[in-house]
Amino acid sequence: MPLDTSTTYPLTRLRLDGRRWNELRLLQAQISTNSASSGSSYLSMGNTAIMCTVHGPAEGRRGEAGNAAGAVVEVDVNIAGFAGVDRKRKAGGNDRQSSQLSNSLRSTFQSHLHTYLYPHSTISIQVSILSADGSLLAAAINACTLALVDAGIPMPGLLCGCSAGMSGSASTPQDSKNDSLDPLLDFSLPEEQELPFLTVGTATPIAGGQDGMVDDVDDMKISVLHMERTAHSSYIETMLAVGIDGCKQIREILEGVIKGSNKIIFPSRDDL
Amino acid sequence: MKSLRRDFSSSPQSANVSSKVFVRSTKSGKVQKIVRELYLRQDIPCSSKLCSICYSHAPVDADGVGKDAKNTLVVNNADLQSVVPFILSDRPAGTKAFPGGHYIVPDTNAFLNGMDLFEQPGAFRDVIVLQTVLEELKNQSLPLYNRLLALIKTDENRFYLFFNEFRLETHVRRRPEETINDRNDRAIRTVAKWYREHLHQASRNGKMEKAIPAIVIITDDKENIRKAREENVPALSLLDYVAGLEDSDKLLDMINESKEGKGQRGELFYPEYYSMSKILTGVRAGTLHQGTFNISPYNYLEGSVSVSAFDKPLLVLGRNNGNRAISGDIVVVEVLPKDQWKSPSSKIVDEEAVTRNENPEVEDHEAVVTEREQKALQEEVKKAHGKNAEGKPHPTATVVGIVKRNWRQYVGHVDPASTSSLTKTGRRQQTVFVLPMDKKIPKIRITTRRAADLLGQRILITVDAWERDSRYPAGHVVRSLGEFESKGAEIEALLLEYNVQYKPFPKVVLDCLPSEGHNWAVPANKQDPGWKDRRDLRDRLICSIDPPGCQDIDDALHARPLPNGNFEVGVHIADVSHFVRPGNAMDTEASMRGTTVYLVDKRIDMLPPLLGTDLCSLKPHVERYAFSTIWEITPNAEIISADFTKSVILSREAFSYEQAQLRIDDSTKTDDLTQSMRTLLHLSKVLHQKRMDAGALNLASPEIKIETESELSDPLMDVKTKALLATNSLVEEFMLLANITVASKVYDSFPQTTLLRRHASPPPQNFEGLSTQLQKKRDLKLDVSSSKSLADSLDRCTDPKNPFFNTLIRILATRCMTSAEYFCAGAHAEPEFRHYGLASPIYTHFTSPIRRYADLVVHRQLAAAIGFSTADGLSRRSKLEDICKNLNYRHRNAQFAGRASIEYYVGQALKARGERLAKHDGDGNFGVDEEGYVMRVFENGIVVFVPRFGIEGIVRLEDFMLPGDTVRPTTDARKELALRRDSDFDAEEYTLRVWENGHPEPESSAMFELFERVRVNVSSVKEESVRAVGKRRVRIIVLGKA
Repeated sequence: MPLDTSTTYPLTRLRLDGRRWNELRLLQAQISTNSASSGSSYLSMGNTAIMCTVHGPAEGRRGEAGNAAGAVVEVDVNIAGFAGVDRKRKAGGNDRQSSQLSNSLRSTFQSHLHTYLYPHSTISIQVSILSADGSLLAAAINACTLALVDAGIPMPGLLCGCSAGMSGSASTPQDSKNDSLDPLLDFSLPEEQELPFLTVGTATPIAGGQDGMVDDVDDMKISVLHMERTAHSSYIETMLAVGIDGCKQIREILEGVIKGSNKIIFPSRDDL
Repeated sequence: MKSLRRDFSSSPQSANVSSKVFVRSTKSGKVQKIVRELYLRQDIPCSSKLCSICYSHAPVDADGVGKDAKNTLVVNNADLQSVVPFILSDRPAGTKAFPGGHYIVPDTNAFLNGMDLFEQPGAFRDVIVLQTVLEELKNQSLPLYNRLLALIKTDENRFYLFFNEFRLETHVRRRPEETINDRNDRAIRTVAKWYREHLHQASRNGKMEKAIPAIVIITDDKENIRKAREENVPALSLLDYVAGLEDSDKLLDMINESKEGKGQRGELFYPEYYSMSKILTGVRAGTLHQGTFNISPYNYLEGSVSVSAFDKPLLVLGRNNGNRAISGDIVVVEVLPKDQWKSPSSKIVDEEAVTRNENPEVEDHEAVVTEREQKALQEEVKKAHGKNAEGKPHPTATVVGIVKRNWRQYVGHVDPASTSSLTKTGRRQQTVFVLPMDKKIPKIRITTRRAADLLGQRILITVDAWERDSRYPAGHVVRSLGEFESKGAEIEALLLEYNVQYKPFPKVVLDCLPSEGHNWAVPANKQDPGWKDRRDLRDRLICSIDPPGCQDIDDALHARPLPNGNFEVGVHIADVSHFVRPGNAMDTEASMRGTTVYLVDKRIDMLPPLLGTDLCSLKPHVERYAFSTIWEITPNAEIISADFTKSVILSREAFSYEQAQLRIDDSTKTDDLTQSMRTLLHLSKVLHQKRMDAGALNLASPEIKIETESELSDPLMDVKTKALLATNSLVEEFMLLANITVASKVYDSFPQTTLLRRHASPPPQNFEGLSTQLQKKRDLKLDVSSSKSLADSLDRCTDPKNPFFNTLIRILATRCMTSAEYFCAGAHAEPEFRHYGLASPIYTHFTSPIRRYADLVVHRQLAAAIGFSTADGLSRRSKLEDICKNLNYRHRNAQFAGRASIEYYVGQALKARGERLAKHDGDGNFGVDEEGYVMRVFENGIVVFVPRFGIEGIVRLEDFMLPGDTVRPTTDARKELALRRDSDFDAEEYTLRVWENGHPEPESSAMFELFERVRVNVSSVKEESVRAVGKRRVRIIVLGKA
């Protein structure tokens, strides 16, 4: 039996993969990975790897009336048969986990994107989970954001997701005097199976004008909040605070990815 | 297409990512390959106080951020307050081999073989526990892993858990072709080397000229020691290391016996266990059966396993069939063919007597079943086949596998006969037998260098293994508890034997107490949050009635007339849940202890005494928080309504049962308080009658009471049977009523998770034996179809000439029943909730939260049910089921411990009396002549119950006084007598006739039958043995009929 976080963390302040409480896993991403689609991305957070492609906005399928108010977002999540520890024979089926993910993603991006610009059309997002090692929803949000940016679909700001939880079962009220539990950032699969956590997604509107991006804390809003497993309500604030901080770190990385790819598309004078 | 391969070159962080790959197989036999990331880092401290480097980047927990500033989240590294303090000493102890001090790095096998050593206070200090080792230990043995964790958490021993796999310098990648074991060994050596260099560097930086401690690897792996020496790293085996310590003799004994590597195997005595898969298929197919292995208290060769497929327990006869199972283990058995079925033994067989002269050292020539044991068994078989009387042969079985060993630490003493006389003074290692206190546990073979010291001591031992080539299990000494019969050692032995937590409360628990201490009081201001939702009941005339000298007063009562002619009756229970918050350290400790344990002169509290005897206790003349149940009751004790509320009360008086009785009987007193007590008494009588009519059982278990602290009087005079007054039953009735009312209230609110108590109806076959005995001997019928009919038929079991007969039958009937248990409402269907003994459809424990944890849980549930608090932490059924399991276990053990303590005191009182008489009269036999009753009849003895002392004892043939005898048999003559006596046992009539060899005439023989009243002499004697020390036991001599 491997060690578990709730016993060893208080002794060493180290998590089971050697991270501290406030550290993200290694996050790497690329965009425009698939030229056949309108937008695409590949993102890995630790051993979680996700590929995402976006098609559209395109005209809705024939026969469907479409929505006059704006574009309809469709999300299809496919968890590869080889993504988990056990290889599943029947891949791509509509299992509970993938439909839950696609529902969350659809409602998230339906309200996040400026869909009113594209009435009677459909934006379809295809998410393929190649390897699942925790924080699936957060990673999928990030991958979708990148792919949507690549597809050039207008949105008020980058939507970034991150998971956060507690280092113990957290089933009783938080005791402010001798608090033995620490919040943990960016859960991996073994941590998800053991501890309570939530997934939070935040969006910061991009201020227009010459300054470009101004990170104004007051304008930041939480677009997604998804609680997994039960924890006492007094811990929510702590987890949320850590999760939002994680989102900020992720935003910087994603911005780096987007700007980095711009360089290649529009080479600056120095490169020429 | 672009390549999507992970690009490690881009990020500087990524250079430190490694991965751990391992393969595991699941229960269903699937093989899984698991890949985990590892983030290697350099900020894991070495935790040595010598080191100046690590301190600057020691880890900071989330609190280093500051609680209120979490939104900004700036990590403040300079905030050293939240840095984990460094553990390893800057001046570690040295040994002969390492005079400059040393740190220890133990390998996994060191913990596996010598966990008791590491737990020995002061023996091992400054130990670096590696992550590699911890993980390997968890894989090999979960209990040892938990013990090691507990060690790491205590500060005094300075154990440091070093996560070596995450430190860049000490991370080791498995090489191709390298086994996982070799890799782990290499990891340990790498750490030792790193520590040495690191400390060198640190001391150079710090410019301090302190000696740098040696880093010593302790491992029992020879290959590892060799490689370490090659790499110039000091490494020792556990044995060699311990030998170099002071006090090594004592410590060496604690090394695990089984792993010492005996070399070649001797003869194999026991059959091999079936393979796991064969067992699993067998159990599933119904050809094998799983159950708990129990040894009969009267015959150590007869075990039984209760399985669902048979209504009678399966008998496991003899050591060979028992196949190394120890009482309490969960085993898998195979039923033997029908022609080998036998009836249960009717003979008393004592291990000590049969195998007295075995030599622990020599194993070569012995068979599993010695000749004498064989003889004892064969007689049994003959008998079983000889007649087919009422006892149809029971199915017999043989153990083929062990699912779970339930070995614990046992208390025992070294068998003096097994030590060799040569080594009385020497320090030579020798093998001796230890006789456990629990008769059901076989002798345990231990190896020790201190046999001479251990003689005459109570010792604590652990069983390590029971190999096929060994007749007896092998174990090792954990520690000595002290001299025989010294009070401290005996009481500690008893507490250990029943697994009672008796250590003082740790500081974390005491920290949970209110800071005001004894000055805490109910707030005067009603606006205080403490008053929120509390009813003010200070005007009610409340009093408490308890045994004399009671300090932890759980309950108080009141009654007052209402204008409509009915009564308002209130039961007020100490509001413990106000002080003990769910989930804090005190709550965890209490839930583990489960119950307060009452010994004769000692109380082992569940809650710290500040709460139990002061703040929670409903003492008179002080305001206290309470949880009240208030009924409106008609004069005929019909309940109109019930109401539950948290309250504040002011008890007017704390009575003892006797005082209360006197006050009620005193007709001159007409004040309101006395009147209300009279009302309560009246109502309780009606309630009692109603309960009896419903079929409640009046059960009996021998209960006696010992008053200590009387130097002058004869201690035996202080052994009293507990007196019962009407006021006892007054309190009891209302407590039962409160429990029942609360049970149904909580059950309404939480149908899945209510903590309830039930007493299952006993299966009729449990009563089979008793009912045939009654039928045969007294022509009485026992109707067990319902609790009502049983109660009635028990009432009819009387004997005009023998007033105690009825109680005796009740005691025996009680033993036929199942024991009551706590359970979680979701675990059983509603009809199963029934409490058989109380004849109540639903029942729980609510009225003693100071001394029982179950009551505390029910308090919380009731508080949630009435909307006083939320149901946080009470809603998980699995958690509650774990609590129930533990409570049942603790509850049972507390009862056993209490009984054992009384037994010990009776023995001590008898001994004191014997010694005093000996001073006056010289030699002879000193005991107390008493009345006793025959409880069971065996082929070679009877079991006699002595109500005066509440003890029962085996009387062997040599302990009978025959009609011709004039002198009472003395202790010394026993052996000789035993050979001369002869007996005749009639299994159908339950009689035993005893006579002297060659004189079987009726006039010179004595005849005893079941239930008969006999005159006995009770004394406490030292067990005779070759050496001076022996164990004391109560001896009963039958003098004749009464």
